[in-house]
Amino acid sequence: MLTTAPHLYLRRPSPTTAEFTVTTCPPLTIPLRICLLTISLLRAAIFAAAITTIYSRFFHEPSHPSPITSVPVADLLYQGDLLLLASHLLQALHSSPPGQFLASITQPLSNSGLAVIASVITYFSLFTQLHTTESLLVLRGLGIQTSTSSSSFSSPIPNTSDGSNRWRGWKWWFWGTTPTKTRFIPTEKIRDVLINEAFRGFEVRYYLIVIVEGEEDIVVVFPRLLPGRKIVEEVWRGVRGCLYEGDPNHQSLGGSWGQTGTIGRKDN
Amino acid sequence: MPENDGLMRIFWPADLPRSDLRGVVVGWRNSALDVFVLAILEEVEPRNVDSALKLGTLTRNAPHPVSRIYELCGQSSLHILGLSNTSDDVQIDPSWIRATTGPSIRVPIITCARASNIQIILFERPLPGRMQYISLSPIALALGDKHETFRIGLSDGADEADEREERLKKVKKKKLVEKLKQHSVFKRTPSAKERALPKIVNQINWAWELEKLMQKNVSRIGTRPKRSLSVSERVVESATTMRDIVLVWLWNLVTVYVLPVIKRLFVMGLMAHRIAAEVLLTVLEWRARPKYAALKDISATAQQVEIRLQQFCYWPMQYVTLRLRKNDWESVTTSHPDYIRFYNSLWLVANDVIIGIALGSYIIDNSSWLAGEISHLLTQYTVEALQSSISWLMGWPAGLKLNSELALFLGDLFLWVIEYWSSCIETLRPVLPHMIWFIGFSSFAGASMPIALFSDLTSILTIHIYSFYLASARIYHWQLNILISLFHLFRGKKHNVLRNRIDSCDYDLDQLLVGTILFTLLFFLLPTVVVFYLNFAIARMVIISLKAVFDTMLSFLNHFPLFALMLRIKDPGRLPGGIRFELRDTQDFRHALNDTTKPIPSTSVIHLKSIPLSFKAMFHQYFQMGHRIRKHYLSPRVLLCLLTGKFVPPLDRRNLYSLQYSMLPARRAGIMEMWNAVSSLPSPKRRTAPVYIPALANGRRYPSNYGGGRSRSYG
Repeated sequence: MLTTAPHLYLRRPSPTTAEFTVTTCPPLTIPLRICLLTISLLRAAIFAAAITTIYSRFFHEPSHPSPITSVPVADLLYQGDLLLLASHLLQALHSSPPGQFLASITQPLSNSGLAVIASVITYFSLFTQLHTTESLLVLRGLGIQTSTSSSSFSSPIPNTSDGSNRWRGWKWWFWGTTPTKTRFIPTEKIRDVLINEAFRGFEVRYYLIVIVEGEEDIVVVFPRLLPGRKIVEEVWRGVRGCLYEGDPNHQSLGGSWGQTGTIGRKDN
Repeated sequence: MPENDGLMRIFWPADLPRSDLRGVVVGWRNSALDVFVLAILEEVEPRNVDSALKLGTLTRNAPHPVSRIYELCGQSSLHILGLSNTSDDVQIDPSWIRATTGPSIRVPIITCARASNIQIILFERPLPGRMQYISLSPIALALGDKHETFRIGLSDGADEADEREERLKKVKKKKLVEKLKQHSVFKRTPSAKERALPKIVNQINWAWELEKLMQKNVSRIGTRPKRSLSVSERVVESATTMRDIVLVWLWNLVTVYVLPVIKRLFVMGLMAHRIAAEVLLTVLEWRARPKYAALKDISATAQQVEIRLQQFCYWPMQYVTLRLRKNDWESVTTSHPDYIRFYNSLWLVANDVIIGIALGSYIIDNSSWLAGEISHLLTQYTVEALQSSISWLMGWPAGLKLNSELALFLGDLFLWVIEYWSSCIETLRPVLPHMIWFIGFSSFAGASMPIALFSDLTSILTIHIYSFYLASARIYHWQLNILISLFHLFRGKKHNVLRNRIDSCDYDLDQLLVGTILFTLLFFLLPTVVVFYLNFAIARMVIISLKAVFDTMLSFLNHFPLFALMLRIKDPGRLPGGIRFELRDTQDFRHALNDTTKPIPSTSVIHLKSIPLSFKAMFHQYFQMGHRIRKHYLSPRVLLCLLTGKFVPPLDRRNLYSLQYSMLPARRAGIMEMWNAVSSLPSPKRRTAPVYIPALANGRRYPSNYGGGRSRSYG
């Protein structure tokens, strides 16, 4: 429900500029938004629980009186003493009933076991990614840009009820969103854009490649999602029509896409 | 027109001041429908701007030669590109654009008679004063690629196999890609617009400085009524002129008489040091024969000294390059990587010295205690531990029934050598505090010196383990070889050396008998030799890894990209790692224009941004070094060498240190070259009395300027 098979979105404000986005995130409906919000809250709770467990096992000093009542939080924030603030927060969490409960159920675990488990949980609660989005931006006269990003909470998908594409600028704000990796290839260096096929496991995958002049590697478009042949073909037609000037029919006749050679997929 | 598909491309600075006044858009016209906006000159007539561009009025008073701008931006002149905020009934040239901007309009609305669709590419102008710039390829933190020369020099047996394998893989991959390339049926010739990108990158880098220059000169456009100064203005002017003349006189006194003397003395000192450095470097690099190892290849200390000397030889050259930068426009970006490299190495050396002073004073204060600790460690680990392990091996270790006679013989042999070695160490013991004191003293030249010295000390003080390892490995290897050939004999075969294969052979009975007896004998003696060999091999591996730790510390002290890291955090614009484009929505863009009914061509708004250099690229060389070390030591080949008792060659220092040399030029500049470079530095400019230039704002605030700017001639 949270993810779908990779599907394609197209943005084309003018005939000479197009962006093809392939993503695993379904369109953001209200239930999905609520679901994503719940998941993020759950993750925050798990993260807090893991950190509190580590704190109460390794850093908590029982003799230390609870100072949370004496020092207001606002003052600490104002002073910029974040370390003290964090320790106070953890102290409060530890002394709260859920914190005590956590400490009591983790009692039988050994120190090292607890440390390992808690840090693994912390890592996964921070860095698990739900959706992967990859896009290809084609600018006539300039070149092609591939980009890849993964996000765990909000989705970078346009709200596509009417095809209007509103990308939220605040999407990078969230946790766990890996920064977009982009690669720009100037048109001058593009030798060709092709669809290739390769064996992967027991299946044949079709994938879009860009052959770059003067480089020993080819550039695979949508390297993580590797969408199916239908999407790839659509993107390929769009790229051919958008990238080059002149008669698009002639162009698409010129480079037929059926490839005979098979090569192993380059790991990149 | 060949490229007339109606696509117009406009590069527009996103941080250009937005106002709703009438203006003339000025910039570069790269091709008919490919324009680059530099500035909007407000409240001036297009006719006057045209003549000003022809006369070069807009680039007057430039601090540096104007021709350099045209050369680097790839255009012969500036052009009027269009008008901004004009009413529709004004007749303009069909190739000009009409732009509508204003404080509330974020993206300019642009129409052009010739264009059917438009790409507006917005960019933030990098600030040349802060050394920001953009580039298509990532900035190179290391000096150019000269690893190949290193590689050729050291292709000796060990790494050759790996290299060949890698090369084969590359060739295979290249073939596959070539095959793919053949699928494209015809090759397109790129249009002028597509070829313009490198030029445009330069133009973006120049945009800020050029706009400032033009805005400064805007007031000179058109004719203005002259007005003589009032009395009070004259009084102010003559007073400031008097003050300036006195200041200039004092300045000239200092620069003409005092500075040259100081400078000459400094250069003399520098040259003397340079000559001393040359002598030392020659000693360090001297090889008896081209194939033999030089001193710097053997000893870590010599290597460290050599690196420092090389850096010392390179700094003046770097400094001269950076000084010459001041004589050029700030937007010339070619020397920015040099700047980063220069300050990185300076900073690393300063850091090294600071850490070294702390370390050195600690070592000197505690030299006797340290000497005691070290001698204790030496006796405990290199003598007593070895002795006890050998005695353990002599007495049926872990229940293994070894051959007692052979074990006794080998153990006695090694114990005897260890005995002798420990007596050597005893004589060394009184000298040790002095050595430690010397090491502590050397660390005032940087923390890397004591580390290098300790590394060398380790290799010298464990030389007996090295020789034990060599001896036992040799014995083991021979025995293994004999066993293999006797096994062939046992099977009635033999190794044909001429054809490098196994042939059948008819042995006589006595040959077979003796061979088999020998085979059995040697086979039963093998475990005894193996345990001794393993003992020393493990000790040797421990020492190698210890030295690897020292080398890693050295490489961090010598090559850590500290300055680059700081820049990456402080101002990522100074470390460009390429560019990226972002497609923006055109919705709000259309809404802004809902009051008009005229059709606007389909427009896409694209933001051009600079990607800061990734951390991975910054530490690229460390990854490379790690990869090389891993491939050398953690490969199956090394395991095979260990198993068969062949000598495991240590990684060549030159190979390991290619990282450190990547910030030094392959060939250092000679003494005379340095002398020429240092003396070619331009002397500080002799200042003439400043001409009073009235501060003129953009034309609109002072429609009639005072001061009569055109009557004066400026240099």
